[in-house]
Amino acid sequence: MLEIKDLRVSYGSDVILNGLDLELADGETLAIIGESGTGKTTLGMSIMRLAEARVQGSIRFKGQELLSLSEREMQAIRWNRIAMVFQNVNNVLNPVYSIIDQVAEPMTEHKLRKKGEARARAAELLAQFGLPQKRFSAYPHQLSGGEQQRALLAMALANDPDLLILDEPLSSLDVTTREELCALLEEIDGHRAKLVITHDLDTASRLSEKLAVLYGGRIIEIGPTREVLRQPRHPYTRALVRAYPNMTTVKDLQGIKGRMNRLVSGCPFHPRCTQAVEQCSREIPPLARSLGRWVACHRGGIVTLLSVADLSKSFDSLKAVDSVSLHIEAGETLALVGQSGSGKTTLAKIIIGLHPPSGGTVHLEDKRVARRGKDFYKRVQMIFQNPGESLSHRLSVLELVMEPMEVQEIGTKEQRRQKAARTIEEVELPQTEAFLNTYPHHLSGGELQRVAIARALVLDPELLIADEPTAFLDASVAAKILKLLLNLQERRGLSLLYITHDIAAARKVSDRIAVMLEGRIIEEGPSNEIVTAPRQAYTRRLLSSASALHDFDNTSISH
Amino acid sequence: MTVKRSLTTYGIAFLFILALNFFLPRMMPGDPLMAIYGDEALVAMTPALKAHLVTRFALDQPLWQQFGAYISTLFRGDMGWSYFYNAGVFKVIMGSLPWTLLVVGTSLVLSTLLGIVLGIESGWRRGSRTDRALLTGLMSLNGFPDFFLGLVLLIVFGVLLGVAPLSGALTPYAGLSGLALVLDVLEHMALPVAALTAAYLAGGYLLTRNTMITVLKSPFMTTARAKGLSQKALKYRHAGRNSMLPVLTMTGIWLGRVVTGAIFVELVFAYPGVGQLTYQALLARDYPVIQGVFLMVAISVLVVNFAVDLLYPKLDPRVSYAR
Amino acid sequence: MHVSLKKEIKQSYIGQAGLIILLLVVALAVLAPFLSQYNPVQQSAASLLSPSPSHWLGTNQVGQDIWSQLLYGARTSLLVGFGVGILGVVLGIIFGVSAALIGGLYDRIVMRIVDAFIVIPMIVVVILVAAYIRPDLAVLILLLALLSWQGAARVIRAQALSLKEMGHINASRTFGASRFYLAWRHIVPDLGPILLVEFIYGVRRAVFIEAGLAFLGIGDPMLVSWGTMMHDAMKFSYLNVWQWWLVPAGVALSLTIIGLTFVSHAAESVLDPRLRGGAVA
Repeated sequence: MLEIKDLRVSYGSDVILNGLDLELADGETLAIIGESGTGKTTLGMSIMRLAEARVQGSIRFKGQELLSLSEREMQAIRWNRIAMVFQNVNNVLNPVYSIIDQVAEPMTEHKLRKKGEARARAAELLAQFGLPQKRFSAYPHQLSGGEQQRALLAMALANDPDLLILDEPLSSLDVTTREELCALLEEIDGHRAKLVITHDLDTASRLSEKLAVLYGGRIIEIGPTREVLRQPRHPYTRALVRAYPNMTTVKDLQGIKGRMNRLVSGCPFHPRCTQAVEQCSREIPPLARSLGRWVACHRGGIVTLLSVADLSKSFDSLKAVDSVSLHIEAGETLALVGQSGSGKTTLAKIIIGLHPPSGGTVHLEDKRVARRGKDFYKRVQMIFQNPGESLSHRLSVLELVMEPMEVQEIGTKEQRRQKAARTIEEVELPQTEAFLNTYPHHLSGGELQRVAIARALVLDPELLIADEPTAFLDASVAAKILKLLLNLQERRGLSLLYITHDIAAARKVSDRIAVMLEGRIIEEGPSNEIVTAPRQAYTRRLLSSASALHDFDNTSISH
Repeated sequence: MTVKRSLTTYGIAFLFILALNFFLPRMMPGDPLMAIYGDEALVAMTPALKAHLVTRFALDQPLWQQFGAYISTLFRGDMGWSYFYNAGVFKVIMGSLPWTLLVVGTSLVLSTLLGIVLGIESGWRRGSRTDRALLTGLMSLNGFPDFFLGLVLLIVFGVLLGVAPLSGALTPYAGLSGLALVLDVLEHMALPVAALTAAYLAGGYLLTRNTMITVLKSPFMTTARAKGLSQKALKYRHAGRNSMLPVLTMTGIWLGRVVTGAIFVELVFAYPGVGQLTYQALLARDYPVIQGVFLMVAISVLVVNFAVDLLYPKLDPRVSYAR
Repeated sequence: MHVSLKKEIKQSYIGQAGLIILLLVVALAVLAPFLSQYNPVQQSAASLLSPSPSHWLGTNQVGQDIWSQLLYGARTSLLVGFGVGILGVVLGIIFGVSAALIGGLYDRIVMRIVDAFIVIPMIVVVILVAAYIRPDLAVLILLLALLSWQGAARVIRAQALSLKEMGHINASRTFGASRFYLAWRHIVPDLGPILLVEFIYGVRRAVFIEAGLAFLGIGDPMLVSWGTMMHDAMKFSYLNVWQWWLVPAGVALSLTIIGLTFVSHAAESVLDPRLRGGAVA
């Protein structure tokens, strides 16, 4: 029904939409997600040709090119074929006319009905949307927010349009009204297409079956709503879901580094993207099919960083790792949860190259890893349970952090020193001369672990394997380390293979959880699904025995 | 504004007017009777009449009693006696009032309506040549005092072109009736009405235009455009209806200005209305008439203002009387 | 709040035009003795002479030089105008700011009085008073100011109320500042643009009323006024004299008022931010 190709909208020198492509079929409800300033309202207004801006490109509605119509012809289409429910702000309705008059107005103006009929139909619509009859003659300022929203909806349907554009239809409404309006919106005739514009993932997921993500004036991902939110394929979409507090996901909130800037060349997201490559700053990526979704990314969406297939390791007769297949994406945290003896540490050591596997393969970004050379270690690093043991007591903090660069022969001594100092700052340790010259046995557990992390980070790796990193730390210290890891992920796009026995901690820092038992992966999936709807009995046992704040009679205090 | 507040305000204004009327003559040096009636009138009075008037106005009593006497005479409808016309002030004023009402009424309606329409059109096209021309033109027009405008019109159309009558409301001794009479009246009031309308057009125009500029930025205008309404509907039904509200509130105050403008204009055109009456009274120091006119004008302005205050909520549903 | 009045006026063509006109009038008034050679109130030649090299606009019905009258008339108009403007604004500040700061019953009483006076048609009252007392220059200025400060007071009070709530006022209060100090140091300076606009309105009204009174013949007979000129000239409209007697006076008066109107229009956008943004209008 609606086909938008290469839509460009600019206000003066301000380019708001920069080559937007979109398709909407009959009866479909598509939600467009965008944060403020991304141009979503402009999109709605441009379809109705109400934007006082320069509009270029193509908007085809039922085969007719809207951008080439005269104002007169467009007036005939407005409200009759395409109607818009504007954002419910003050004064969105004319204050000097009653709402029933305003609902009836488009019917009489477009000569669809006579005055009496129009009024009657208006009354029907208002009642359908739950407005009590005595409010029909009220004036806009006398209505509550919810009532005004209902009036706006009823008014939009007055001329039975084929396409309905809704701009933030559920914002500033109370809970009950929200639920009611959602139900009402669903009831609206099947043949009508709906375009929902919102910044709110909750609204989008309630109302739409297809979701398009808007960033930097372009659509960067489109797919079925449920799928896109469950497993986003574009780095921005993923970051958006991570930043949005909701009752579904369990991982702690993370932001997106940097700020939105419209004046970028190439991919609009690339300054904030943690997996950007050189091409991203030069060329704008087109929307392309990738893994059943449409994604605008030169790298085809979120990159799979590491994958292991059928990995096995036996020590004599003991199968420590039994045919394990896993993958870790760029910028995500995979938690490997299992009890001691499950084989998780062995698996980690195989990946990092401390144990050769008995079978199976390891791929780093599609390239098979055979021998692990300096290049591998530049990209994958590990931190261990006991930092006291993993850090040599003969080297000072600064020397410890500089060591990996020395081994890799990177830069001059001065450059290494500076890089080391910067990384030490990044892990929130002091940079005083005194501290830099301290030896490990003078440091606390938390400080030691930070030094270990700094050491691992100084080569700017893409994947950090953390084996029970907080095992030897107090809770409050551990919390800070975990937060540090999350911040590093936000800032650097660091992928994390987080190995732990503690599923409670795991769910707070991981996007996905893999449960390991006796060398095998018995269950794997998004962390919120594993935690709320586990399929395996063992997983259920893990969850029930995980740390909780229990009441004396053994029921846990939870919500 | 609550009704109570309105009443208090108008009450105070009314009291001030009464007080002014009362105290002014009594503040002048000399015989208060002369102050009330004017020195010319005094000459014509017999001593008996003077004594009677002194009692009537309690002029030998303390001031507050005089005020009481003054108020009570007023409420009896007695506005005094004009020696110049040898008739009751009220009757004299009533004789001239219809002509003034005709001219003032027509001018007020014309200037308000025209001002609103021009303001809407100007505001709609803000910044365009039409708007700039209208704005500059009307503001300049506004700068011309009504009497000068009247004089210019009189000279141009009356003296130079000879197409308009030079004075009066009717052609004297013509004995016309029916349609001819109506045409004659119209012919005589054309220039005075034109002068008054032109002089006061800018007020409504500017206010409407300014309101229009603000209203056009409102969200409901975007909603209206989205409904695919015609330009006319957008301009008048939606923007216009909102933009004319401030003008209507000012009607009461503007009435005062137009009425005073009528004084000047009637003088210029020798139009036999209340204005002309006032001028003659000023020349002749016919104080009762001056006071009478002042009282009537001031009170009618107050009444109209009050009426507008009461009617306004009907037009703007956002406003209601908070009780 | 941080809108520059000068900028607003400079950016508007209308404002600039108005300013130029006003400056011209002021210049004529100030330079009157140098630009004319006769004393406007003395008879300098025969009556009703046509314009000539010695009398640029001819003479009036008692033989006074019209050109001189025109120039000195500017002085009268401007004197009355500015006098009333300043006095009106001062009274407006006194009552407006005090009402805002003191509040309570005092505020209510003042506002009631203000509202009452706004409704009363000023010209009618002035005519009435002038009928009894022939006001001279000073009395006229005082009278007009007393009847016109109310409009300014209302606007000033509204602005003072919103300023009162601003942070830095409250901060000064915590230093123990008196209300007078607050008014003088903090509120009045911030009122700047509004005061100027109200001042211009006041000048305009006063110029108009002074001329109107003179036109009716109840002005100060000792003053040279454009209104009086028009009043006298009107009697002779059947002669040609109106061309150089009536019209110059009327045009001078009109131009002055137009200049004031233009400047106030440009300055109005300072008061109402929603009107800003038009280069011309």
